[in-house]
Amino acid sequence: MTRCLDEATLQAYFDGELSGEMMEHATLHLASCSTCAAAAREMEEEINLLMTALAPELEASVPTERLRQRVNAAVLDQRIGAASAPEKAGLGAFISSLLGFGTQRILGYASLVMVLAFAAIFGLVKLKTNPPEVPTVAKAPTIPPPVSTGIESTGVIAQGPSTKADVVHRPVRVVPVKATVKAPVATENAVPTTEPVKLLPGERSYLKTIARLDSTINANKKQMRPSLQVEYERNLAVVDRAIAATRSAAKKNPNDPDTADFMFAAYQSKVDLLNTIADARLGGGRSH
Amino acid sequence: MFAVAAATGLILSLAGSTPAHDDKKDPQPGQKVERTLAVQPQATITLCVASGALTVRGWDKSEVRVRSNDADQIEFRRIDKVKPNEPAPPANRVDVMVLDKTARANPKLDCQAIADVEMEVPAGAVVQVQTRDGDIDIAGVAGAYAGSQNGDITIERATKLVEAGSVGGSIFLKNSSGRVNLTSAGGGVEATNVRAASAEDTFEVGTVSGDIQLDRIANPKVMVKTVNGTLMMSGALVKSGYYAFANMTGDVVLTLPHDASFRLSAKVSDKKDIISEFALTYLGETPTPAAPTTLPPTPKRPEVKEPKPPLKEKEALKEKEKPLVKMTPPAKAPAAKGGPVVAPIIVERSPVIAPYVRRVEAICGSGDAMISVASFGGTVRLKKL
Repeated sequence: MTRCLDEATLQAYFDGELSGEMMEHATLHLASCSTCAAAAREMEEEINLLMTALAPELEASVPTERLRQRVNAAVLDQRIGAASAPEKAGLGAFISSLLGFGTQRILGYASLVMVLAFAAIFGLVKLKTNPPEVPTVAKAPTIPPPVSTGIESTGVIAQGPSTKADVVHRPVRVVPVKATVKAPVATENAVPTTEPVKLLPGERSYLKTIARLDSTINANKKQMRPSLQVEYERNLAVVDRAIAATRSAAKKNPNDPDTADFMFAAYQSKVDLLNTIADARLGGGRSH
Repeated sequence: MFAVAAATGLILSLAGSTPAHDDKKDPQPGQKVERTLAVQPQATITLCVASGALTVRGWDKSEVRVRSNDADQIEFRRIDKVKPNEPAPPANRVDVMVLDKTARANPKLDCQAIADVEMEVPAGAVVQVQTRDGDIDIAGVAGAYAGSQNGDITIERATKLVEAGSVGGSIFLKNSSGRVNLTSAGGGVEATNVRAASAEDTFEVGTVSGDIQLDRIANPKVMVKTVNGTLMMSGALVKSGYYAFANMTGDVVLTLPHDASFRLSAKVSDKKDIISEFALTYLGETPTPAAPTTLPPTPKRPEVKEPKPPLKEKEALKEKEKPLVKMTPPAKAPAAKGGPVVAPIIVERSPVIAPYVRRVEAICGSGDAMISVASFGGTVRLKKL
């Protein structure tokens, strides 16, 4: 057995400040030395006690941040005050200058009114001639085959039936709707769109299970003992690498069920690992 | 007086347990605590601590004896029901409660003591032992359930069943029989000289990153899997036995007697080899199915032909493996007939088929046992003992 861990090392262990090698050493030592395990347990309890007692304080923003906000607010108040002082003096002059109707200003206002009037008339005419747009889904059958789009947006690019020529020249309207109907339009300046991750068949159920187990573990992750957390994260990385490798192979070989089997086996390993950790996190106990 | 007696009875009945009548000696400070209780020969006994090494030994007495230098108190909690107004028979199910100073302050908290514990139980007993930090050592019992988060688990001479699990520790099993299930996330697993007690006794091992080493396993069904470890098995195969090995990375090494008779069904990466010292009759590579069963049809991908290795590299490979005879499968999807080949062989990568995983079927001798290997990124080696 190696020498016992001193208090500073234990504290660093709980704070996660030890290097990887030291963390491993400490974990191994704690697993084999009951004295240190007892000391660690005591310290863990103290930390938990402190964390519970200080929870309201810790959850609130830190004092320095609050102080900084107050200082900023005070400085801003001062600046506004300083800036508004000379403005107040000249406010009357400013308003009168706005209302002062010189020849040039009259012409300017008149042209603005005309533009607004034209815009209003144009809008009304347009509203009468074009009935409210039918949802794009209904038009889908008449939409030509999708062409790669040049516009990246969260919305859907809506368009009616069109020829290739007018696709290029017509301005594209982006309608932010929720429906995920894809009717992309080709444009000259093509920008690659970000495609959502496509799940392979059968993946979804595994991902759901994993997400559920993950949230169970993460809900009380702070209570997980450091040694368990180290082991959990180390093995999780191993499994995740296996999933990534097998998934990539399965994607490249969609006609090969054996490759998909490997991917599912990797997912199953992750489910098994998460189950083990979820059980271990609870500290076990007797089962009759 | 009557009220006190009634209240005590009520509390005991609500607790759902009957305090065991045991040979109780009050411990002196710093002295070893020891308790003994008469139990049935096939009793089930549980022992659980937060931290500390646990040692269990089977003996030929129908008693449980528990000792500890670290514990303040040891209690037996009888789980089986005892009929009132009748002399209680020896216990059939017992929980061993180990209490240290911390746990004694709050006895409701189970499994919280930090103490090394030694326990003797009847040889026919089933023990269920658990510690968070600490090693477990069990020998000479009928059944053993053992769990530790970080400690190693060693089990010897179990006769009916073994189930052991550890998160970070390793598991060692020796000279046992019955159904076996061993799992460890980060630790390795070693099992030696294990056999079945009945025809249904399976042998299952699983790890995430630990290596698995098996020697002389005689259960009729052996299933071994790891994500990132090496799988090694040596010893004779059971006639009509089924052996399944699966890993993602790491080699699979099977060392078998020179007269081993088995059928091999292997799924391996296209980039890895199957190296055999046995005279395998090659049944071919199963071609990739045209219509997938699980995956939807996708646009045809251009077929990628594997580049042939440069001549020099090929010659160097030949030189390196000079005593070995290589066998190249037919270029097209091979027919099932195949033919006898000269041992030892290397089943080479197919020059035409481009799937990432290839399936190889082969037979050695009359194919008595079935070996199924699935290795995503490892080499499969079949060695002679």
